[in-house]
Amino acid sequence: MIRLEGLGKTFGSYAAVSDLNLEVRPGEIFGFLGPNGAGKTTTVKMMAGLLKPSAGRVLINGLDLAADPIAAKRAMGLVPDEPFVYPKLTGAEYLRFVGELYGVPLDDMRKRVPELLEMFELAPWSGELLESYSHGMRQKLVLAGILLHDPKVLVLDEPMVGLDPKSGRLVKDIFIRLAERGTALFMCTHVLEIAEKLCHRIGIMIGGKMIACGTIDELHAQSNKEGRDLESIFLSLTGGGEYSTLLRYL
Amino acid sequence: MLATLLRRRTRTFSNSISHWTRYEWIRNAAFSSAGFGLLFGLHYGFYRLLKYLATIELIGLLLTWKLTAMLLLMTLSMVVVSSLLTALTTLFYSYDLKFLLKAPVSLRTVFLDKSLESAFFASWMIGLILVPYIAAIMRVQHLGLTFFAGFIVAVPPFLLLAASFGIGFTLLLLYFFPSSRTRDVVWVFSSLSLTVVYGLVRFAQPEKLIRPDALKVVAEYLSFLQAPTAPYLPSWWLAEALRMSAEGDWRGWALRAFGLWGAACLVYGLLVLLAGKVYFIGYSGAQEGALRRRVHSFRPLAEKYFLGTGSAAALLWKERTTFFRDVKHWSQILLIIGLVFVYLFSIRRLPLDSAELRSLVSFLNVGTAGFVLAALGLRFTFPAISLEGRAWWILRSAPLDVGQVMREKFLFSVVPLLSIAATLALTTNWILEADRFTSWLSFGALVTVGLAICVMGVGFGALFPNFHVENIHQIESSVGGFVYMAACLFYVGFTIAVLAAPMQMHFAERFGTGVWNSRVAAFSGGGWLVLNLAAFIVPWQLGRRALENHE
Repeated sequence: MIRLEGLGKTFGSYAAVSDLNLEVRPGEIFGFLGPNGAGKTTTVKMMAGLLKPSAGRVLINGLDLAADPIAAKRAMGLVPDEPFVYPKLTGAEYLRFVGELYGVPLDDMRKRVPELLEMFELAPWSGELLESYSHGMRQKLVLAGILLHDPKVLVLDEPMVGLDPKSGRLVKDIFIRLAERGTALFMCTHVLEIAEKLCHRIGIMIGGKMIACGTIDELHAQSNKEGRDLESIFLSLTGGGEYSTLLRYL
Repeated sequence: MLATLLRRRTRTFSNSISHWTRYEWIRNAAFSSAGFGLLFGLHYGFYRLLKYLATIELIGLLLTWKLTAMLLLMTLSMVVVSSLLTALTTLFYSYDLKFLLKAPVSLRTVFLDKSLESAFFASWMIGLILVPYIAAIMRVQHLGLTFFAGFIVAVPPFLLLAASFGIGFTLLLLYFFPSSRTRDVVWVFSSLSLTVVYGLVRFAQPEKLIRPDALKVVAEYLSFLQAPTAPYLPSWWLAEALRMSAEGDWRGWALRAFGLWGAACLVYGLLVLLAGKVYFIGYSGAQEGALRRRVHSFRPLAEKYFLGTGSAAALLWKERTTFFRDVKHWSQILLIIGLVFVYLFSIRRLPLDSAELRSLVSFLNVGTAGFVLAALGLRFTFPAISLEGRAWWILRSAPLDVGQVMREKFLFSVVPLLSIAATLALTTNWILEADRFTSWLSFGALVTVGLAICVMGVGFGALFPNFHVENIHQIESSVGGFVYMAACLFYVGFTIAVLAAPMQMHFAERFGTGVWNSRVAAFSGGGWLVLNLAAFIVPWQLGRRALENHE
């Protein structure tokens, strides 16, 4: 599970994230929404150990990320917003490399690497350099990489970007299956439809602060809006009328 | 439209200056001062040399202008090679090209913008180094500011011409070899040719030409001094323009300067015309991505035996595989092999008559070979962490300690660096027939220098990481690269200084003018130990802390 306690990050005098408290339980898919610049990616980076928090702490599977980073990271898998990988490795080599970093036994890797490549339809390209992969193929490979070591916690920043509809469906099914098996999933996304269908609970962030958190019903109650769909709730909570001037201009 | 494109550069520059923090102001002021100090040091060295040449009766002036012509020829070749490398990244792989090419801007305008950028970055630093030399000529020959103004007017077309040659070659290379694999092969062959040409020039022993004893008669020597140095190249035109302005022949200067400007406009104009035909085809080929190819990797038995299959082995394997698959590194390796051969050949050709002098040179070789190792460290070891690039998230989010990543970078660099250090030390000592004491001292010192340069390379690389650079040259020429190089030179200088005392006592004992003083030797050894402890520990620890906190 994931627990964020009073998490904050400042860049100079600018507070990107302030006093964020959150718990994602095992088996739960948590959707993290917010407009651009709300502090979502900063939060993800702090959770993955890529940024040092200015305040508070991150607990992954009960382990303090600052105190015991190696054990905490071993229990976690990250999909960043941009799937940058080593261009001079092949797909199969990348998976094997990630497996070795996370201590996956060699016998398990021999079995699982071809399975994952097959599952994500990357097997025909497994022996080719990653510099020739498209964005979507690299995204699938990164997803395959995190599944290889079977993490207890998944941190996902826009995991569906660049995926074709078939792969998108596959990834959604994988997330549901992982949650059923007890994995805690924390997912940043701008695609409200995915969040609505997939997530058990949703948090909405603006200006570095969590302004709403709960199930769809709970968010609806907080927003006082007629429509029950997530888009209406999201726009009600984050403000959506300001583009009327723009529309007039067009 | 070109004005708009150029304005974005001045705006970016002024914005970045206006957003400097106080720390950045102090840091940049410190580095600028160090840069000026370096230029001043060069000026002093040139001044001493030119002043000495001026004292040589009859041929002093001839020697000065011969040296100027050779220096300009070297500058020309350096700008050509530098623009070859710069043009490839700026004209074909810059991040902003996708934006520029999809905007309603003509291809010619984009080429003008990018080729001028290439020419500027390939030549400004080399051109700047000419300034202290010109200032030294002015001081020695008591020339006024008009001479300097004559230089300022004539040098831009000279640099533009040199850069145009390099850009033209890159344009044609990308046009004729759009497939990445063919391009890689051609790139390697170009580097190989460059290495061979470099070796041939050196093995032709040009130093013979400036030593009168190497030529048969005085008349032959004088005719060599008076003969043009590569008369068809712009370097000779500039040298002649400078000589004429120094002699007050402004008509002759104007003719050469006009010739340089005319040739630069003509060549650059032809380059723009050529670009109209070939640039987009080359760019399109470069964007098609690497050729899809199946590759195989292997893990050497020694690596398996010592490192097993854990994360340390995986990191080393990844480093080795990605390094050798990048063809740009092959060309660098070829050039290094050429450099080592030329270095050893130069040692062999040194006119050293006595055994003592040969031993002294063997000791001083620690300094020159140390400089070579520092240059290699700057090229290979220092950028290693930054070259993780945007894939750094993979290692940072993995269950790894930052120190483990640094250790792996060190392991990967240390073997080649130590091999080169040992080769340079052993071969030089063998060539020079240095005595046993000097041989052991210089060998031990140089191997330690190799180790320290490697540790410092990883340490400073971690202290100044930059995961968002477009190419390796930006890492080398960054503030961190400058600090690393300065630290290496400082370290090598101190190594020579602390080991000079035992060498001095050794010579005194040989000449019978003194005896071995154990206290001085112990003091020198202690100093050497402290220096190395500082070099091994301080940059590593600072780098480790900085990389852990890097955001």
